[in-house]
Amino acid sequence: MVFSSLTFLFFFLPAFLILYYAIPGRAKNFVLLVFSLLFYAWGEPIYILLMLFSSFVDYLDGRLQERFEGSIAKKRVSLAIALIINLSLLGYFKYADFSVGIWNSLTPFDVKLPGVALPVGISFYTFQTVSYSIDVYKGRIKAEHNYFDYLTYVSMFPQLIAGPIVRFSTVQEELHKRAITESGFVLGMKRFIIGLLRKVLIANQIGALWDTIRVADGISIVTAWLGLLCFTLQLYFDFSAYSDMAIGLGQMLGFNFPENFVYPLSSVSITDFWRRWHVSLSTWFRDYVYIPLGGNRVGMAKHLRNIFVVWFLTGLWHGASWNFVLWGLYHGTLLTLEKYIWGNGLKKLPKVIQHLYAIIIVVFGFGIFTFDKLSEMGAYFVQLIGIPGNAFFGNEFFWYVGNYLPVLVAAIVLSFPVYPFIKKKVEEMSGAGRAAIKIAGAALSVGLFVLAVSSLVRDTYNPFLYFRF
Amino acid sequence: MKNDNNKIGILDRIPVYLVCVFILCFVIAIFLTEKKDFSENENRKLAQMPKLTFENIKSGDFTSGVETFVADQFPLRDTFLSLMTEVERISLRKEIAGVFLAKDGSLIEDYNNPRHTDKQIQQFSKLSENVENARCMIMMVPTAYSVYSELLPDGAAKGDLQKQVIDEIYASVPDKLQKIDASSKLKEEAEKIIGTENNDKKDSLSPASSDTDTAGIDRLFYRTDHHWTTYGAYVGYEAFCEAAGLTAIPLSEYTGEVVSDSFKGTIYSKLNDPYFGSDSIVSYSHPDWKLSVKYEDSGEVTDTPYNPEYLTKKDQYSYFLNNIHPLITITNDAVESGAIALVKDSYANSMVPYLLQHYHTVYIFDTRYYKGGPSKFINEHPDITDVLILYNMNTIDNDTGIGGIF
Repeated sequence: MVFSSLTFLFFFLPAFLILYYAIPGRAKNFVLLVFSLLFYAWGEPIYILLMLFSSFVDYLDGRLQERFEGSIAKKRVSLAIALIINLSLLGYFKYADFSVGIWNSLTPFDVKLPGVALPVGISFYTFQTVSYSIDVYKGRIKAEHNYFDYLTYVSMFPQLIAGPIVRFSTVQEELHKRAITESGFVLGMKRFIIGLLRKVLIANQIGALWDTIRVADGISIVTAWLGLLCFTLQLYFDFSAYSDMAIGLGQMLGFNFPENFVYPLSSVSITDFWRRWHVSLSTWFRDYVYIPLGGNRVGMAKHLRNIFVVWFLTGLWHGASWNFVLWGLYHGTLLTLEKYIWGNGLKKLPKVIQHLYAIIIVVFGFGIFTFDKLSEMGAYFVQLIGIPGNAFFGNEFFWYVGNYLPVLVAAIVLSFPVYPFIKKKVEEMSGAGRAAIKIAGAALSVGLFVLAVSSLVRDTYNPFLYFRF
Repeated sequence: MKNDNNKIGILDRIPVYLVCVFILCFVIAIFLTEKKDFSENENRKLAQMPKLTFENIKSGDFTSGVETFVADQFPLRDTFLSLMTEVERISLRKEIAGVFLAKDGSLIEDYNNPRHTDKQIQQFSKLSENVENARCMIMMVPTAYSVYSELLPDGAAKGDLQKQVIDEIYASVPDKLQKIDASSKLKEEAEKIIGTENNDKKDSLSPASSDTDTAGIDRLFYRTDHHWTTYGAYVGYEAFCEAAGLTAIPLSEYTGEVVSDSFKGTIYSKLNDPYFGSDSIVSYSHPDWKLSVKYEDSGEVTDTPYNPEYLTKKDQYSYFLNNIHPLITITNDAVESGAIALVKDSYANSMVPYLLQHYHTVYIFDTRYYKGGPSKFINEHPDITDVLILYNMNTIDNDTGIGGIF
């Protein structure tokens, strides 16, 4: 099930919230667990068993780690087994076809493709359970004793299928004792609605535009770049909207999930971008891969290796296809260059130039990200520089932009921290003006919610982009 | 974390609780309202609650079925559709849900790469080869997207794909099957009409101008429907006559009558916004007609190809030949001999009246519903001298269109 669907909004969510608030104390976890399993089973009726198994392995590992306290060797074996099981499952269900494909292209011994369907959310929950096992091993957290509470953490529907990657340490306390307040509900619902609007009214619309440009013949250079910008905006609004909805739902339930996107498209460098884009993923790789490898406190050669490994894996995490790997390495290379070569020089340039520099690299990068067939990527990319002889500018640009102007403008403006800025200004205003603006804002949000529902009723375009992650 | 940010005021509460009330009202409404089988407005069956079986759950059909069910049966569905269209239109969209808002205020459906052309070629070829003694002709009719491409919003036209597909079909079917070029004829006519309109009323391209006297008379396609008008059908008939060696009877010999000015067609239904206005339907009858129209499935016999009872309903196009019937037989006693078999979709329904003055009998097959293959019937009726295959480019590629052919 996805959040931006009528079934979720009008059946699942109200039924869940009513029960969740009605049932007292510890039993709330049980309600949450049952609904989370339903939520997952809605889209993946079979693979739910995989999730139950995977989380049981880590739960067991946690208990064993505790029992083996004092015997580092036993603890290591237990951790190793848990990691091997988890990563093998991820490896098999996500990368089997990809690996066999590589094998077939490199060797003369062809193996039949296993044709495994990817279980939704497996990359997210595997990373959560893996981090749990490592954290218990390192003594950063205490092992969870109650399997059902642990399963509630792993399967918690707000963050199950598209992040943020919530670590056990973040929610351990709240899992057992959390404050459920009216302000939590109101602010959480508000955050959820904002996310829904960003997904349905911006991401879906701009996504439809990208889908048109992607397959259009004979577009000009400017339109080709517009296309990639659209994809960038679609991905950003779609993905960050999911995080908004997840964080909002968490807040309604009494959980504080970490922020996941901090206006990444307003970055001034690629280093900056990765502090703002999918933060829960990049910090995961930092804490569980990069730093254990030695991070930057090693010689230059090893440091470069570490960067290479992390970005290879980051790319691969996004999907079993070479373009994702390429995208990861592209970013890794640029981060290295910024660190060792032009990072300091860049900071001395005017802010506008820094923004332009970052956005062009990011947009081009998402071009690599979006085409999983290298031939399609090539065919599109040559249009970016006019190789097929396409014009620099054509009238079709006005057709595309004209059709989507209000949405495009809104998307670009909202990619910058405009809302916090306005909010601050409004708070500084005097009584009457402040009230008027707030009332207008409230009315607008209700109106937009009705519009979002209209859009879902028409149901023409509402994709779920992360099935590959 | 427990700082000022967690303080909420009345203005935080109001919108959130309004949304909650909205959701709850609809939850209740969903359970209380009676489920509909059919949408008058969209002219299609609405999804029903899927069966809860193990197989359905395992395959995911159950959950996806529930999603469509909820969207189809959602209370005030039509109102939500209008709202969405209205907002998109005001935000200067010229293409909404696959529908172009044309320069003259009409609605033109998009045309995408066809998927079933090969199957169509195969079926048309088979029919023409199986027919033994009659002359076979084929007429593929382009839609407004191709004929009225000049009326598409600036930048929306993407080359004439329909013409390419028609050419492909014509090149692939046997020589025996005589090809009728309706495309050029319609475009010529469109050129004339648009040309004079541009001179006459350059400024009156205001949408939804409901000058019902002329609108619909010189249009080739309805403003809000995917069908051609009776005038468009007449132009198609002219193309047919040229190919078949017949002399077209001038339209002036017919009695024309505006039978409706409230027709809101299938494209309208996709958007459901009253802003787009409605169409008029002009009906042409020949004074000499002595008709007997027999609907073979129901056995009903009438003396006219027209069915005025539909004019008070949503589906007004069914005025022509009463919607869908596997086989209709029309005889005209004013004509002595000759018979033609039509293998066709709904486009033909408004062209059939013009054929009646040329043939004593017209057999009309809707192959989506006529089981058994028309070639057998045709071979068993030696009076049939001509066979005309007539489809429009849009519906033929829909699954129901080709899915049921032959």
